[in-house]
Amino acid sequence: MAKIIACYKWVTDEADIRINSEGSIDFSKAKGKISDYDKNAIEAAMQAAQSIGASAVALTFGTAKAKLSLKDALTRGPAESFWVCSESAEKADGAATAKVLAEAVKKIGDYRLIICAEGASDTYARQVGPRIAARLDLPCITSVRGFEIQGDVITATRKLDNRTEVVKAGLPALISVLPEVNEAPIPGLKAVLDAGKKRSTEFKLQDIGLTDADVAPRTEVRDFKAYIMNRKNIIISADTNADKVKELVANLRKDGVI
Amino acid sequence: MSKDYAYDAIIIGAGPAGIACAYTLAKNGKSTLVIERGNTPGSKNVTGGRLYTYALDMVDEGLAAEAALERKVTHEQIIILDGNRSISIDYHDPSFNSECKSPQSYTILRAVFDEWFANKAVELGATVACGIKVDGLIEKNGQVVGVVAGEDNIYAGIVIAADGVNSLIAQKAGLISDIKPHAVGVGVKEVILLPSVTIESRFNLKKDEGASCLMLGCTEGIHGGGFLYTNRESISLGCVFVVDELAGHGRQVHDIFQELKMHPTIYPLIEGGETVEYGAHLVSEAGYREFPKKPYKDGLLVIGDSAGFVISTGYSLRGIDLAMVSGIAAARAIIAEKDPVRVGPVYMNELEKNLLMPTMKAVDGYYDILEIPRIYSSYPKLAAGLFEKLFTVDGKVPRSMKKEIRGLIKQNGLSAWQLIKDGFRGVKSI
Repeated sequence: MAKIIACYKWVTDEADIRINSEGSIDFSKAKGKISDYDKNAIEAAMQAAQSIGASAVALTFGTAKAKLSLKDALTRGPAESFWVCSESAEKADGAATAKVLAEAVKKIGDYRLIICAEGASDTYARQVGPRIAARLDLPCITSVRGFEIQGDVITATRKLDNRTEVVKAGLPALISVLPEVNEAPIPGLKAVLDAGKKRSTEFKLQDIGLTDADVAPRTEVRDFKAYIMNRKNIIISADTNADKVKELVANLRKDGVI
Repeated sequence: MSKDYAYDAIIIGAGPAGIACAYTLAKNGKSTLVIERGNTPGSKNVTGGRLYTYALDMVDEGLAAEAALERKVTHEQIIILDGNRSISIDYHDPSFNSECKSPQSYTILRAVFDEWFANKAVELGATVACGIKVDGLIEKNGQVVGVVAGEDNIYAGIVIAADGVNSLIAQKAGLISDIKPHAVGVGVKEVILLPSVTIESRFNLKKDEGASCLMLGCTEGIHGGGFLYTNRESISLGCVFVVDELAGHGRQVHDIFQELKMHPTIYPLIEGGETVEYGAHLVSEAGYREFPKKPYKDGLLVIGDSAGFVISTGYSLRGIDLAMVSGIAAARAIIAEKDPVRVGPVYMNELEKNLLMPTMKAVDGYYDILEIPRIYSSYPKLAAGLFEKLFTVDGKVPRSMKKEIRGLIKQNGLSAWQLIKDGFRGVKSI
C-alpha cells in the first residue's frame, strides 16, 4: 500500500527545563516528548491516509533516547514506525537531519506524501521539510493550514503574513504543516494497546547508505542561555472593574496591540 | 486495526498498590493491563515519600536492593512546635543502615520510584497504558467484567481498583460512599532543591543517610501535622490538615504552610533552597475504622489507598508499604482462585494472612488520640512552657516544678482532670 510518511522529532520537554539564576539552562531533569507540532503532522498523515486509502507511517531521526518515542508515535495512529538511530542526531543541524530523513524515505519507498511540521518545538529552524523535498526533488508546500488530495494532486492552503494562498502540486510531494492544520486527538486506550503490537523498524546510518561523516553538522550550537523578557510592570489600580477594563484597553491601544 | 482486547486482570492506577499487584500477576503468567491516568506513573503523585523496604522485598526478594530510592532513613525525628519555640526529638539508629542488611526504610521521590517500579512490571510482561482515564466499569449481571475508557471497552476476568484516595471506581461500584470530610486530610507539599552536602550537614547525616521528621503543633490547632523527608538533593516538606476542621478555620492551607516554612526551627533547614515542585492532594486519615465493609464485589477488588490502607499514628505515616502489601494480597487471591465471583473472600483471607488487616486493627486506637483537639495546640504549648521553665535560670529562687506545672496547665486553659482523662485515653488506645 502507498505510504504517507510523517516525520517527527523527539525533543526535550520544555516543561522540565530549569533556568538557573545566572541564565544558564539545566536540562538534567528533562524528559523527552514528541515535538508538539509534530503531533499535528502525524494526525495530518492519518487524515490524508484515510482520505486516499494509503497507509500512514512515522519516521524519526534520533539518538538511543528516541526509542521511547516510537510507541508514543504509534499510539497516534500510524501503522508502523521507522527510526534512524545514531548518536550524531544530538548535534545534527537541519541539513544533516534532512539528509538522513531523505535517505530513510527512499529506503521506506512507495510514498505519496511526506508531512513535516513547519518547525520543531525546540529549535523551530524550519529547515528540514524544504531540505528533504530538495534532496528528493519533490514539490514542497510550506506553512500549510489545510489541504486536500484528489487523485494525484494535493491542494494546500498556505498561511502568509496577513493572507492565505492556495497552492496545487502533483504527488508525490512534501508539505510542512502549521499546528492549526488539525487538532491532534489524545490517544485512547485501544490506540495505546494497538501501538504495542505494531512494527517498529530501526535503521543504522549504514542501513540507509550514510556514514557518520555524511551527517556531520555544518552549523554548531555553541551556547544556550535563557532570554529574559523585560516586563512592563504596569499595575492597573482603578477603583471599579469598569474603570480597570477602560484603563487596560487604553494601555493596549497605546501599544498598538488592539 | 483495533480489535477486542481481553486480559486476565485490569488494574486501574499505576501507583505502588497497582504495580505490586501487576508485578505479582505478571510474574505468575497472568495477562495484566495497568491503566494510568498520568502521562507517566507517579506523575500525579504528591506523597512525601518514604518507603519501608520489607514491602518491596515481599513483592520480590531483592527488589529493594535495586530500587530507585533516595536516602536510608537513620534519623527519626519528631518536632513539637509552639509559636517560635520548638522541642525536637531525634532518634538516631545507625543500625537502620548497617551493612549486609536491607535498610528498614528509604525516602523516595514518587515520580522516580513509580516509573521504575512500573518498568519492572513491564519487564515481566504486564502492559502499562498511561495518559488514559478510566470512566467506568462494565458490569454484566452484577459482575464487573471490564472497564470503559473514552470510547473503548476492555474486558478482563477481574478488575482491580487502585486509583487512590477518593476512589471514584470503588464509589461507582457502590463499595464506598463519597469521602467524609473528617476521614480525609488535605496535604500540601513542596520539593525544595538543596545540594546533598548541605542536606547532610544540616541534618547531621552521613552520605546516603536520611532523616524523616514529623511535626506537631504547626497546624493552628487543626487535626493534622507536618512532615519532612530528606531526599538526595532535595527536601520534601509538607503539611496535612483534616478537611472538616480546616473548613471552619478560616485560614488558607498555603498561608499556614508558609508560616511553617518560615518557622525559626524549620527555615534554617530549607534556607537557600529552591522550590521546584509543589502540589496538594487528599490523604486518607481514619485507617481501620473507615475501612469499607467489603473492599470487593463480584469481579472487582479494591486495594491500596482506594480501600483506605493508611496508618497515621502521630509518630509515623505509612501508606506506600501497606498499598503494596494489599496489591500482593489481591494478586495472590487472583492466582489462587479462578472464579472472579469467589475471589473477594480469598482476598480478605490473604489480607489477614499477610498481616495487613491485623496491623490495621492493632493501630486503630491511635486515631482516638489523634482526635483529641488538645494535642494540636494546648499540649505543644504546655510542653514548650515546661521546657522553658526547666531551662530558665534568672538568679531567683526556682519555684517547685509541681507548682510550675499546675500554673502552666491553668495558663493553657487545661485542667488536671482533662490531662488525666486524655492520658488514660492515650494509654488505652495504644
